[in-house]
Amino acid sequence: MQDKEFDRLLKITRLRVSAEERVQIKSDFEQVIAYFDEISSLEADGEPAYHPVEIPGRLREDKVKPFADSESLKKRAKTSNGYIVGPKL
Amino acid sequence: MTSYIEEFNGIEKQKDYYDNLFAQLERANEEHHAFNLINKDAKGGFLLSTKANICVRGFETDAGSKMLKGYVPSFNATAVERIISDKRFAFAGVTGMDEFGFGTFGTNTEVPARNAFDREYAAGGSSSGAAVAAALMKYQVSIAESTGGSIAAPASLNGVVGFTPTYGTVSRYGLIDYANSLDKIGVMARSSDDARIVFDMIRGIDDYDTTCAVEKITLERRKKIFVINGMLEKADSGIRAAFEKLLNKLGSRYEIVHVDSSIMEKAIAPYYIIAMAEASTNLAKYTGYKYGLMSEDFYKQYNEFFTDARESFGIEAKRRILLGTFIRSESVKDKYYTKALVIRRMLIKEMDRMLKEGYILSPTLPIKAPKIADVKKLSPVESYSMDLFTIPPNLGGFPHVSFPYDYVDGMPLGAQLVTGHGNDYAILDFVKEWEEGFEYVYRKNLGEL
Repeated sequence: MQDKEFDRLLKITRLRVSAEERVQIKSDFEQVIAYFDEISSLEADGEPAYHPVEIPGRLREDKVKPFADSESLKKRAKTSNGYIVGPKL
Repeated sequence: MTSYIEEFNGIEKQKDYYDNLFAQLERANEEHHAFNLINKDAKGGFLLSTKANICVRGFETDAGSKMLKGYVPSFNATAVERIISDKRFAFAGVTGMDEFGFGTFGTNTEVPARNAFDREYAAGGSSSGAAVAAALMKYQVSIAESTGGSIAAPASLNGVVGFTPTYGTVSRYGLIDYANSLDKIGVMARSSDDARIVFDMIRGIDDYDTTCAVEKITLERRKKIFVINGMLEKADSGIRAAFEKLLNKLGSRYEIVHVDSSIMEKAIAPYYIIAMAEASTNLAKYTGYKYGLMSEDFYKQYNEFFTDARESFGIEAKRRILLGTFIRSESVKDKYYTKALVIRRMLIKEMDRMLKEGYILSPTLPIKAPKIADVKKLSPVESYSMDLFTIPPNLGGFPHVSFPYDYVDGMPLGAQLVTGHGNDYAILDFVKEWEEGFEYVYRKNLGEL
């Protein structure tokens, strides 16, 4: 794998790796992809199976239910003047 | 063998029973690291533990990752909710695991669990702590989770019963996702009866998980056992020899049929393609802000903030995020991901055909328990290859159970039995029959009455 492609993947996944991790992951990456290429030896015919069993797509009733412990959620967030604080855009 | 849950609840306990048990458990845990957290307030019931990726209200649930350190759910997973309200059970704590379930041996985390038979050996993964907990205590049951073999593999290495139900029988609500189309919550215990009791309590349709769709469970016994030649040949000679002895024992009651299946033999690659593709999307939500790890460096720019926080992922998690993202790239998606999904349908068709006639039996793992030091020397591909036997039923969502069948050099060996979708009771029934003629052995029996 070219450095350019590896850097593109790091950028879109918001990951940073150390110099040591970079060497190791790049080398593993090539071995794993070579291993995945084994599927080219299998003749594949038919529809993809997104789930192993049939999923009927049943939906629950669209009804508001009170959440049991909303106080603990508020405790977690960093707030300022009643607003939740987040990183800069 | 009978149910330890029933046995325990029928006997009066000494007043200081739980104090003594937790004192013993804390000492054992220093040696084996089964539990991330022990709840010493658990009194008055049969102990129940949960894997660290299943949410329990008020208890840290970190999925074995630094990224989720400090995450304390404010709700119970459906499986937990259904069992915790039963006064026969008491919540004993949270068990350790490979980070986000990424591992076969339990070593991909900060403090790996150690085998219950010998702490120098791997506990197996990713439900490592859950298996060790069941092997340490007779009166304890572990709720665990499997994506590609995370219940069967550690159950085998620690000599306990590891039951993975049909995909979609137990709600995944409250499970920290690894790969949504593969994840299944199951049970680890010292007897098939206990696994069945707990399975019946946690299974069933749930409004909070639309994929929880399998309600009817059957017990259709089979008289044939299929053994896949090409897969067995890849196991170590010691494993093959022990497994042949098992087949000889079973041969008087079952017709043993040796068959070939190139699609089952080659299931590892499609499995890892699907698992990594799904994992890479699931792990996108961990940004050091919403769950667990909480960065307060809000002065940073958006990308810098998230990239800094995501440095907390371990190397295996980073590897899988990168591989999964690559596989989903527009230019190669059809070559890998879509093709893997087509192969999954073909595998289900082929296994289904066999499972209508008989069970599929194999060793659970192709090797004996490895030492932790040796696991660390394995390359990722070598490590993924260890899932040879556990992947086909997991990829196809078929119920399977690993049960102890021999002890070699003082360490347990497990065999894996697979049946068709929804026929879960049949394999538990098979193991119950096995238990009538085979006594499981353990090194420790904490809390024995």
